[in-house]
Amino acid sequence: MYDKSVRRRRAVLILLVVLSLLLLTAYFGEASGGRLHQVQRGFLTVVSPIQDGANAALKPVRDLFGWFGNTLHAKSQLSASLKQTDKLRRELVADQAEKRSYRELLALFHLDRLGISSYTPVAATVIGKSPNLWYSTVTIDKGESSGVRVNDPVVNGEGLVGKVAVASSDAAEVDLITDSSMGVSARIGSSTATGIIQPKVGEPNNLLLQYLPATAQPNVGEYVVTSGTVAPPDNSLYPPGILIGQVTSVNEESAYKTVNVHPIVNLHDLDIVEVLTTVDGSRAANLANAVSVLPVGQASSSVNNQSGEQLASVGAGG
Amino acid sequence: MNNSLSSSLLVRVAVLSLVVVFFQIGVVSEVPIFGINVDLSPLLVAFIGLLCGSMIGCVSGFAVGLLVDLALLQTLGLTSLIFTLIGFWAGRLREVRDPQAALTPLLVGAGATAVALVGYSLMEFMLGVDAPVSLDLLKQIVLEVLVNAVVALPMWALVRWALQGALPEDPRRRRRRRAYTTGGLSPLSRA
Repeated sequence: MYDKSVRRRRAVLILLVVLSLLLLTAYFGEASGGRLHQVQRGFLTVVSPIQDGANAALKPVRDLFGWFGNTLHAKSQLSASLKQTDKLRRELVADQAEKRSYRELLALFHLDRLGISSYTPVAATVIGKSPNLWYSTVTIDKGESSGVRVNDPVVNGEGLVGKVAVASSDAAEVDLITDSSMGVSARIGSSTATGIIQPKVGEPNNLLLQYLPATAQPNVGEYVVTSGTVAPPDNSLYPPGILIGQVTSVNEESAYKTVNVHPIVNLHDLDIVEVLTTVDGSRAANLANAVSVLPVGQASSSVNNQSGEQLASVGAGG
Repeated sequence: MNNSLSSSLLVRVAVLSLVVVFFQIGVVSEVPIFGINVDLSPLLVAFIGLLCGSMIGCVSGFAVGLLVDLALLQTLGLTSLIFTLIGFWAGRLREVRDPQAALTPLLVGAGATAVALVGYSLMEFMLGVDAPVSLDLLKQIVLEVLVNAVVALPMWALVRWALQGALPEDPRRRRRRRAYTTGGLSPLSRA
């Protein structure tokens, strides 16, 4: 009787482990349009209304916990904010004159049509978030039925949040900028030198701006923005000028400069975000179609193997 | 150890798993404590194993892992594999040692979280994520283990409350029964 029970227990364990390994292998090897991925998307479609309802019902609970956390941080943030306000006020005065000249130039060269206005923003509510260190993703309540597509950039009032990784009919999964699959072409606000911003390896909450030319002069405290363009035919997934983070330190260990960047968006406290949807036929839409047929491993490795601007503008969606 | 599966227990485990996983995704993940996200799912699986035994522990671990992977669009099978092992380990701990110390849930919770995080890290390395072990990553893992250990006691109380009455053999009931039949003393001392 005892032997039978032991044998049954071991058999169940081995069966479940083998089943998990089979799932893992099949999922990792298939394209993002494969059967298991479709099952996942179908599941998301089914549960997203439940998640949506639960999210709305439990918002007061979340807000209550958030209130305690925010109150604890408020005092330290206040003094930092006051210092920053003084600094920004001085910069505002200096920038106002430059802004007037910039507008005149934009009108002169008809550049306004190349701005962020060529995207159609879709507001979405965050209805779920992965607790895992290895998956920086959130689930939003808008999907293909609202025009959301894979690789659409996602922003909020503070700056760049990430990009759409998977879209089902009424929900979508967003890879945050701290996800290991991300890579965005970026520049430091005051300069024209561009680099690639990626999550800092081993530090899931920080970013690294890499491949900056040795001549670049980044300073601690400067802001980092997307350097992408929506000018055809080289338009990238991310429009230019979206705030990403703030420089915390500069490394000069190699031929290229690398800069440590702290994300400006509070990725732990996302509620409402905006998906910058693209129109059919645009480069971003074409890229989304091209990437969707690649196997998961191949898509990420092809992204990692590309370098410089090519990586930013094609593979990782820069 | 009797592992008979009563339908009442299965229903309770299923409902509890669904509620906890969706509460985790919708609320707990969005409320960081000291910048760390509490992860209730490994605690849930470990405590189900600790209360119900290795068989139900590993089956519920597989199911909860699959649910998490499906709901969060993570690599399918990864969380199932890790949680299956956690559920089985916690179940065997009960069957072999039957620990009764008050701090057992805390230690089991911390252990389950550590196994989950290290397991994820190892699997991600094997799947090709380019992330060497850094001090910051280790710090994050240690912090998450500590924070999850703090949450382990209330989570243990919740899981025990939800499953009470349907458990195959409740260690507390067994202790009470033993105390009743022996008058609180061992047969040897009475003799």
